[in-house]
Amino acid sequence: MNRAGRRVPGRVPTSASSQALFEQHVLPEIEVMLRVARSLTRNDADAEDLVQDTLIRAFRAIDRFDGQHPRAWLLTILRNTHINRNRRRRPELLRDPDGTSRELHDIASADVADASIDAGFDAEIERALAELDEPFRRVVELVDVAGLSYAETAEVLGVPAGTVMSRLHRARGRIRDRLDRAGLAPRSH
Amino acid sequence: MKMSWRDRFRPTGRRPMTCEEVGTWLQHYLDHELDGRRSGRLAAHLEDCKRCGLEAETYERIKHSLADTRPASPDDAITRLREFGERIARGEEPVQT
Repeated sequence: MNRAGRRVPGRVPTSASSQALFEQHVLPEIEVMLRVARSLTRNDADAEDLVQDTLIRAFRAIDRFDGQHPRAWLLTILRNTHINRNRRRRPELLRDPDGTSRELHDIASADVADASIDAGFDAEIERALAELDEPFRRVVELVDVAGLSYAETAEVLGVPAGTVMSRLHRARGRIRDRLDRAGLAPRSH
Repeated sequence: MKMSWRDRFRPTGRRPMTCEEVGTWLQHYLDHELDGRRSGRLAAHLEDCKRCGLEAETYERIKHSLADTRPASPDDAITRLREFGERIARGEEPVQT
């Protein structure tokens, strides 16, 4: 229906309960979804498109949503939507569902200016992050950059929470080793 | 750090953690993924052990630095998506495949 009350072709009528559930559980998560979508797509326009598609899919499924853990539910939809979009765009990525292993190399060479000691520390961390293998970098981006919990990260990646923890632990260890080698890790005097 | 004789006789659930235990749980602690009791025991250890305190400080700095790389979500993208979501809720956007 449009605002005048007439049925709009191709659009589904919405019940008041669907609308209320969607507004209550889905709309407040848009910012988090956008952050995660950025991490997955590495592109602002693609990230916005991905969130739009996720909103549509979430609305279609809202009547089956039990009201528990909306963020985890939405992140699962977002992840599946991302995988499907990649498959449509690049069928060769069927064997690489995350579809980003190649994109890693694009940012590995990213150069970061360091104008002060703090900037040097931050730049070293950005370099270390770019050099991590894809599964490790992805976990760090979701937990430390996007601010997700272990459980939410596990939903996005479709792996057990234990895998998230072990990857995160190893990834941070590598970042720390790099800081050590660069003489930038805090030391006792 | 050596455990004091007093801590040796405390129930495990109440004494400060050992360095080895801190090594196991530090990342969870920094990510706020540790339960209250363990968190308290770990924090008690960090207060007394310089080496573990320094380790925690290093990882905390790494976490903060990574969080600072978070791109600010542009308000206009969020506004557009929110308006899109509201139109979906009102049935004004096509949502069928």
